[in-house]
Amino acid sequence: MNTAAPATPARLREAPFEAPQLTDEDVVRSHDRARVHHARRHRRHWHLLWLLAGPGILAMLGENDGPSMIAYASDGAQYGLGFFVPFIPVLFAMAYVCQEMCMRVGAVTHRGYGELVLQRYGRVWGWFGAGDLTLTNLVTLVAEFVAIRVGLAYFHLGAGVAVALGLTLVVFTLSGGRYWRWERIVLGLAAFNGLFLVAAILVKPHIGTVASSFDFMPFPGGSFNTLLLLLASTIGATVTPWMIFFQQSASADKGMTPRDINHGRYDTAAGAVLAAIFGLGALVAGAALLAHDGSGIQGFAPNAGFPQALSRVAGGAAGTVFALGLIEAGAVAILTISASTAYAAGECIGVSHSFNRSPRDAAVFYAANIGIALLAAVVILIPGAPLLSIALNANVLATVLLPVSLVFMVMLANDHALMGKWANKRSTNVLGITVIAFVGLCGAAYGIDSFLQTIHLIPS
Amino acid sequence: MSPIPPDIEQAPPVSPIPEAELQPQERYEDELIMHLERDQFVAETSRPVPRAVLSAGATAGLWALRVFVVLVSIMVIYTFIADLH
Repeated sequence: MNTAAPATPARLREAPFEAPQLTDEDVVRSHDRARVHHARRHRRHWHLLWLLAGPGILAMLGENDGPSMIAYASDGAQYGLGFFVPFIPVLFAMAYVCQEMCMRVGAVTHRGYGELVLQRYGRVWGWFGAGDLTLTNLVTLVAEFVAIRVGLAYFHLGAGVAVALGLTLVVFTLSGGRYWRWERIVLGLAAFNGLFLVAAILVKPHIGTVASSFDFMPFPGGSFNTLLLLLASTIGATVTPWMIFFQQSASADKGMTPRDINHGRYDTAAGAVLAAIFGLGALVAGAALLAHDGSGIQGFAPNAGFPQALSRVAGGAAGTVFALGLIEAGAVAILTISASTAYAAGECIGVSHSFNRSPRDAAVFYAANIGIALLAAVVILIPGAPLLSIALNANVLATVLLPVSLVFMVMLANDHALMGKWANKRSTNVLGITVIAFVGLCGAAYGIDSFLQTIHLIPS
Repeated sequence: MSPIPPDIEQAPPVSPIPEAELQPQERYEDELIMHLERDQFVAETSRPVPRAVLSAGATAGLWALRVFVVLVSIMVIYTFIADLH
């Protein structure tokens, strides 16, 4: 695999049989790469960082989605800050380990995750992965629409507005036929994830209490099953299968190369830090309800449950900011999760899968992108649909299905035939395998324990 | 990773075209091509990568993990449906 230097025209003319057939996608990507080369040549470091940032921040802030922020806030409302203030940054450090591998594999191979698994390990594994992804994405997208609906309910707007807003955003961001445009719009929206930090400030937390929480204890009380549910849902709020598909495919679609890997790491690290800070913001805002019977708060209650409760306890401004944050979190996640589904569909079917293609040239990609969002939107409009249960179980399901995706990620990142000198080092493998073991154990323990309780083999 | 087909491999070498003789469109395409790595073109990424050879142990491990995850997923979905009632 040639990863050393850009192909020069002279070399290509000397070897005309290797000259590539330029597509529209190549032309658009080449324009983006020209700006990267220009910034690098003129040592414009900040501009280079700006040009190469995107997939990492979007994966991390996209995962700070509606269900995740509600999960963090519910943790704060029910258990306080003690365990979660240090636990959330640890989880995002785990997420960094996984996402850095995705970025690196995408930059070196210029191919998406679904495509590589399918071609390298066979169609069965490729389609299994795509099936897992589609299932978790659909459930999660339903939860995103529910989160938007909860946020809008605070402003007395209904489910129809939530559906219209979500679908309009998906169609609008897809309309440019260019990855760069899509990425910058979603990055602009994702910046508003910081609203959760504003909400945390508005509830006026006691700084000393927050700081002392970094002692990592006390462990939350409650039954063993409740504890497993907390762990599984909080992990599912931080690392999910869609992030793996998304960041690798987006890194390839953006045109990243091995020379950009360090900037990709900065991008991923920045995303992890920002997501951890904003997630902690939701936790701290939720903790304001701890002294007000927080355990009774229904985060996904259709009548603006969480923002409404926060408004009563900490003032209207905190409730308003939290509601706007939920709308943002749901909207950004709809865009990134739909995109990950579209990448996976295009890669597994073997057709064009790039934002740099027009809808005519990449019909499956665009149809999957809009189609899955539309399907989730239809679900939330069904009268009597169990939206609360779907939303609460979305993160758990993601945690249960995650280990398979992570195992293939580590295998790809270790594949010397694909990755050459950019393959995983031993330390990265140790971290990656630890993450897989931890995630697998938590998800499986919760699934098995809950099942045994449900069939009354062990007491509830 | 992507072997050259034999008929192309036997093609006679073609001399480079002098820079001055290039048409504006060719110059434009050359400039575009310069900014992409050779294996980054759609023509190149459309070629599948070769299948990896997994050991029997690795294949068995993957299947075990897959079966385990499917079983746990069924348990979670069953619990979810039971909770609805």
